[in-house]
Amino acid sequence: MKRHITYTAVLFTVLLICSSGLYGQAKGSFEVYPVPAISSGSDDMAPVILSDGILFCSNRKVNPFLTKKNLEGVRLYELYFAPFDQNGNPGKPVRFGSNLGKDTNIGPASVSSDGKTLYFTRNYIVGRKVKKNESNKLGIFTATRNGSQLTDVRPFEYNDPASNLSYPYVSADNRYLFFCSDMPGSLGKYDIYMCENVDGKWTSPVNLGDKVNSADAEINPFLHSSGRLYFASDRPGGHGGLDIWYTTLAFGAWTKPVVLDDPINSEADDFAFYAVQGSLEGYFASNRRKYNDDIFRFATTIIRWSVCDTLRENNYCYEFIEENALKNDTIDVRFRWEWNFGDGTKADGVTAEHCYSGPGDYDVSLDIVNLITGGIEKRQASYELAIMDIEQPVIVSPDKIMAGENLVLNAGESNLPGMDIARYYWNFGDETVSSGLEVSKIYSLPGKYNIQLIVSSKAAAGGVVREVCVCKNIEVTPDGN
Amino acid sequence: MRKNRYIHIVILSLLLALPAGVNSQEVPGPDENIPFLITFGRQGGETSWGDDDFSQTFFFTIPKDYKDPFYIRIYDADIGGKTDELNNFWNTRMVYSVYGGKGCYTDPDAKGINPTGNYKSGTLLATRTFGMDNKLDERWFTFGPFNPADGEYYPKFSSNVFKIICDGVSGDDGNLYRYALSRRPDANVPIEGANAFTYEYTFRMWNNNDTSFVSHIYPYIDSGCIYIRQRNFDWDNDGEFIVVSVERKGQAMPLSGEDQWVDDRMPILDAEIGKSLDFRFYKKRGDLVRNNNVVMSVENQYGENLQFFSAPIGGVPVYKPKITVRPKK
Repeated sequence: MKRHITYTAVLFTVLLICSSGLYGQAKGSFEVYPVPAISSGSDDMAPVILSDGILFCSNRKVNPFLTKKNLEGVRLYELYFAPFDQNGNPGKPVRFGSNLGKDTNIGPASVSSDGKTLYFTRNYIVGRKVKKNESNKLGIFTATRNGSQLTDVRPFEYNDPASNLSYPYVSADNRYLFFCSDMPGSLGKYDIYMCENVDGKWTSPVNLGDKVNSADAEINPFLHSSGRLYFASDRPGGHGGLDIWYTTLAFGAWTKPVVLDDPINSEADDFAFYAVQGSLEGYFASNRRKYNDDIFRFATTIIRWSVCDTLRENNYCYEFIEENALKNDTIDVRFRWEWNFGDGTKADGVTAEHCYSGPGDYDVSLDIVNLITGGIEKRQASYELAIMDIEQPVIVSPDKIMAGENLVLNAGESNLPGMDIARYYWNFGDETVSSGLEVSKIYSLPGKYNIQLIVSSKAAAGGVVREVCVCKNIEVTPDGN
Repeated sequence: MRKNRYIHIVILSLLLALPAGVNSQEVPGPDENIPFLITFGRQGGETSWGDDDFSQTFFFTIPKDYKDPFYIRIYDADIGGKTDELNNFWNTRMVYSVYGGKGCYTDPDAKGINPTGNYKSGTLLATRTFGMDNKLDERWFTFGPFNPADGEYYPKFSSNVFKIICDGVSGDDGNLYRYALSRRPDANVPIEGANAFTYEYTFRMWNNNDTSFVSHIYPYIDSGCIYIRQRNFDWDNDGEFIVVSVERKGQAMPLSGEDQWVDDRMPILDAEIGKSLDFRFYKKRGDLVRNNNVVMSVENQYGENLQFFSAPIGGVPVYKPKITVRPKK
């Protein structure tokens, strides 16, 4: 494991300066930035975004002259809290939960959505030297958070000193608790397990199965509001070391995990992905700078409009009503109303319906036929009907496809008069994008996807660029049904 | 209510004062396309010929600003010859009487549809009795001159009103005739803004079975009218009767049979207030009903008779379709 390399603070600082230009540039769908305020010369990882700051764990020196180690001389992880400044950036970290245990690792952690319950990792044996051949594995504990005070520390009911239980993550709705363990029955070094909160009690842990868990390690589970369960794994197929993957619960089963692209993942260890719910920005940890684990900030570069008009179908069907006749429709009359729709078709009645073949200018007229004499009173009323296509970008595609099937999307029928179009930008609703008048897309996972087509004009005088957006839902089925 | 009523009086006065067509004071009027008025002699009281009361009253309105003498002319005033309807032999006498002065119009009996009570109200200005007279056959006879000031001034019309009654005092033949209001005794020269009306119209239908021969009469719908009740007599089921207005296209109404009265109610639309309705009569196709004489009257919900103007107030009502086009949902 690359993560067990130790570094000197001086060397780290020099290299940080030298390499800082490497980050902050956009690659793929994300931009990645270092976060100097919470980075140290030691290992910083497992960021948790709270409403008022970042909670993370670190084995940094408490001060230049003091390094916390356990009784065996191993540097210990402890929790730190970096409050957000007025710009939303994390500030100087401070120790958090120093009363949770002495001479023991504390963290990673998770916090319930109401902020009152802390779920954290800690060694089972606390406060004494571990005997030779004695195991001191990791377990999950909870504490009640009351301001800066953490009290009432309790062990997770499924802790087993013979197994490691770590990386707790409680979902935003407090319904699910994910954690990682090497408990009996695990498929690899570390597997992800899930418990459900039923009537205030956690159900027995369930292994997420071989789609998610591998013979290698799966750690740092995080469930995003998009439905994606992000985690880190050093399984084959990644970019090297630990990489960040995601899976989705679709039709009752976890889907085959997908590895995130560069620059989130690198050849180094990339792990502990934690995003703001409802957004694609957040933090993760990586040792890509080769010396230690650092926390990075990421933000999506994908363009996706928060408010985008739904694609509307052009309507060429109209109702024609002779209001005065309709008002007296109950009376017995000796006339018949005959509509000429202006496209060579006719219909009888006080009201009529007609669907035109397409846009155009139609001279609608109404003849009234005298049923007594047979005479026709021509053009008793007329109406100039101008039918125009809706001014909008148009997505032409099937509404439903099978997973793995090639979906072709075309914007050629867009009706944007007067717009000198520079770009057709497609957001496929799964954090992938493309551009072009006609594009192809293969969805590997079943589900419903909201595709956005964003059309941009060339810059007009003064550099003004006009942009319009339209969206359409596509259903991707496992079997086409 | 008083204010509204006043406004309506003003509007009606303006409408009556509008320039009428060249022949607008002929009765029947040109827009009515009715060949003749008809009155039968009352001998035997036979109504099945198409006259329910052997009498017909018409009123002429002379605008108050018109001060010159005028004449009331009668076409084919006699009973006999080519134009009238013979029953066995010509034995009928008709009395034409012209009335003016106070009460000639405003007397309640004058506005009735039956020749009862004081229907000859007002001041008798002229009268003459006619029998068979070849000199008058298909020619014009002239009453007058009359002084417009001898009529009864009626503020609502801003006009002086005169009344002419044709009574079939004896015999049983049918008298076919027409009236004209004129500034001259020897020709029909209309008086600008004058008009004529009746409360019960007895007239001859065309002797034709072509439905293009459409006759019209135009009741005026005054303010406050909620519904009307039309009554027609002795139509012999001859064709179709429909009502047209600015918002009503050809509502079918019942027609009477032989020597029979038929009536029907019809709600009035807001848009019809202050305008005329068009009562249209289409002759029956196929078997021709010859010499069909008919009677028509209309009353409102209070039982007040409504006027049929020879020149329709507000003009001939034309149905106006109103088109709405909207996308189908």
